Amino acid sequence: MKKVGILMLCLMMVMGFHGTVLAKTLKIGTLSPLTGPYAQDGTDILQGAKTAVAVFEKAGGVPGYDKIEVIPGDSACDGGKATMAANKLINSGVSGVVGAYCSSATIPASVPLNQANIIQITPASTHTDVTARGFKQIFRMPPRDDVQAWSTVKFLEDGLKIKTLALIDDRQTYTVGLTENITKFAKENNKIKIVALEHITPADKDFTAVLTKLKKLNPDVIYMGVYQPEGSLMVRQAKALGIKAKMLSEDAVFHPKFIEVGGKAAEGTFLTFAKAPDTPERKDFEKTYMEMWKVETVGSYGYYAYDAAMILLEAIKKAGTTDTDKVVDVLRGTAWNGVTGEIKFDEKGDRKLAHIIWIVKDGKFVPYWDPLTEKYF
Amino acid sequence: MDNASFIIQQLINAIFLGSIYSLIALGYTMVYGIIELINFAHGELFTAGAFIGIIVLAALQNMGFVETHFVLTLILVFGMAMAYVAVLGVAIEHVAYKPLRKASRLAAILSALGMSIFLSNGMMLSQGVSDRAYPAIFGLKGFSILDARIAYGQIFIIILSLVLMVALNMFVNWTKLGKAMRATAQNQTMARMLGIDIDRTIRVTFMIGPALGAAAGVMVGMYYGSVRFDMGFIYMIKAFAAAILGGIGSIPGAVLGGIIIGGVEVLWSAFLPSEWKDVTTFVVLILVLYLRPSGILGEHVSESRV
Repeated sequence: MKKVGILMLCLMMVMGFHGTVLAKTLKIGTLSPLTGPYAQDGTDILQGAKTAVAVFEKAGGVPGYDKIEVIPGDSACDGGKATMAANKLINSGVSGVVGAYCSSATIPASVPLNQANIIQITPASTHTDVTARGFKQIFRMPPRDDVQAWSTVKFLEDGLKIKTLALIDDRQTYTVGLTENITKFAKENNKIKIVALEHITPADKDFTAVLTKLKKLNPDVIYMGVYQPEGSLMVRQAKALGIKAKMLSEDAVFHPKFIEVGGKAAEGTFLTFAKAPDTPERKDFEKTYMEMWKVETVGSYGYYAYDAAMILLEAIKKAGTTDTDKVVDVLRGTAWNGVTGEIKFDEKGDRKLAHIIWIVKDGKFVPYWDPLTEKYF
Repeated sequence: MDNASFIIQQLINAIFLGSIYSLIALGYTMVYGIIELINFAHGELFTAGAFIGIIVLAALQNMGFVETHFVLTLILVFGMAMAYVAVLGVAIEHVAYKPLRKASRLAAILSALGMSIFLSNGMMLSQGVSDRAYPAIFGLKGFSILDARIAYGQIFIIILSLVLMVALNMFVNWTKLGKAMRATAQNQTMARMLGIDIDRTIRVTFMIGPALGAAAGVMVGMYYGSVRFDMGFIYMIKAFAAAILGGIGSIPGAVLGGIIIGGVEVLWSAFLPSEWKDVTTFVVLILVLYLRPSGILGEHVSESRV
């Protein structure tokens, strides 16, 4: 009986080995908050990457591989958890990582990924430091914070032509980076007076104390450096308090949920977000995504994650290897065409992508003003 | 906005926030008073109440019931959320706390923490990870005192919290069951000897406390306009602080603690740098506990319970 058992064990070992040789799997990882307050955006990122893999596999996949597998990692918008998740992805042998979401998670997680020399493409983190530390294998899909802050200040000075501005942030890496850069640009140009810088706690629900304070100061514009859940609550409370100032926010609030929860109070809010190209590829992607995940809208970071995963796979296919240095050369040396526009990385790994100003109108995000041309849409 | 309106507005903000903290703190304090257990799952019961509220409200809205029977809608939404969570509270007590009643206190606390994680993740799986928009039934309409705004929804919530708190106080002080609860809280062995059904008394406590939490959940959802599976956590921390500040086990203490925590939070942000808001709240808690270890209205703990 014992002998039979050992024989079975041997057989299983051989067969298991045999199986892995036959089915060669290409693994790519994702890092995004799948739990916690930003789980919506995190799920969008995972789904975007999975959509890219499905589309890519349907179109033939990577020669030499039978299967492409997406290994999800939960970065939870937390440096420690993100680093742990990154190490887990390294151990499972991924050829590249799409992620993370919060800058405060992306920056710590990028250290082990850099040491292991694994490509990382963030679909969301916009803090300047993400690409400013000389890492060769890190890339970024959305425009940087300082670009976003520049567009914001430009819009306030030359678009709205306002005099006073109040800033709110939630003391996280990403939002503090924005309010600091906005303060810097506004001071340099000296056209706008910043009358207040207030801070809130993420995951709080009541911001009336801070908003009442701003109502008293009566600024022309209130800038909300927060994420979507807090943004929705903030516009509602501002409206309930009878605040007349215009509300302005950024790309972390740019999500269909902002309008869904904010309701009528979200109307008229300005937001900075990259321009959405009107291409058939984008429409095809939206259709595939909505069918695949049975949803009615595509989350803003679903687009970036799709592009990130897509160019990673295309680059591996083009390089004909998963060797990081070779794939990095291909990624850097090629002008890609994605659903978020042309993707051409510079030396640091950033795209030349500018923000435009959007406005919430009749329950939709509508393009409003272009800081580069200073024209209304 | 002039100074008078500013102060009135900040006071309104403080009372509103404080009354919600108070209502949640009551659930902690009642359970602690009876079985000396910090019910960490209370924050999740609060969230569950908010979800039941949204489900009932959305169903009624689809039937066009809200426009025609507004008051009945409110009664149904609050009633069903509170009833459901009351049953859930008893069920939790039965599976997670009752078997550990004679075990060490640490075991019961761990069980409560486990229950909290279990319920939170259960709600994440069943209700999704993102914010759910609450159907707007009050809107953002209200009226002004000078330049200070108060929404009708806020008035309704403050009045309802007051009614619930007064009703609870009357129940505990004037009914037979309330008397049994107080007796059980004072000395379980003695109460049992005098013929009080301890199990039943504890069950009732685990119905009322969570039901009040559920009512607070519906209020928060209705007023702030959104619900998410993890929203109970931050309220749990604040309400827990409120319960301890007021003197855990004391019902008027929980109400007072909630108002103080809400007040400190709002008034600090109103006049001083807002980034220190949370630090201050907990510094106040530490100071009060340093001066009065059993909380503001907490009673001296008798020998038998130490």
